Amino acid sequence: MNPRTTLLTLAEALAWWIALAALWLVLISTVDTLERVVGASAAAVAAVAATAARRVVTAR
Amino acid sequence: MNGWILGATLALGAGIGAALWGVATGPLRRRVVAQNMSTALACPALLLLSQGYTRPSYVDLALVLALLGPVGTLVFARLLADELADDPPRAWGVTWVVAGFGAAVVGVLCVATGPSRALVKLLVVGALLIGGNVVASRALSGGFRGVRRG
Repeated sequence: MNPRTTLLTLAEALAWWIALAALWLVLISTVDTLERVVGASAAAVAAVAATAARRVVTAR
Repeated sequence: MNGWILGATLALGAGIGAALWGVATGPLRRRVVAQNMSTALACPALLLLSQGYTRPSYVDLALVLALLGPVGTLVFARLLADELADDPPRAWGVTWVVAGFGAAVVGVLCVATGPSRALVKLLVVGALLIGGNVVASRALSGGFRGVRRG
């Protein structure tokens, strides 16, 4: 993995994180600090999973 | 009883009634289409009930149904692929009518909700509902031949 692909993967994970965190904020009922922390954490895990899953699918 | 609950009752009574009749009778190709349409009709009904009872958290039920309904249909499309290949369902008319009904319900609810996070949530549910059912209908009619046998 060269620096270019590493940067692209990081950018993709960041894009996933932004989209998933925004989805979380839209779907919850009340927005407070705890929800923001939980949402950001869950979106981070899901972003890593989504990036990895997409790499597997495109490499096939 | 208000207008929202009346609309939900009509959608459940007429729509789900017709879907149950379609699931219980006729050839396989009609049954799978009716099964697909049942979740597509129940989801707008749940949205209307949520508005009728002024319980925004009930929208989550519609969200889950909009997500899992088409997934269930995809399972049927996969399991029944061999049977459906001989006699594929062609139900684009029903699919687009039900999708239009879902879009109309989501549109009316969006107007009633006004600009807020709840409106974005309704739009997410609507997109999942219509997109999911169009994809599921396409899978049932053999539209994804490349992945038929997994």
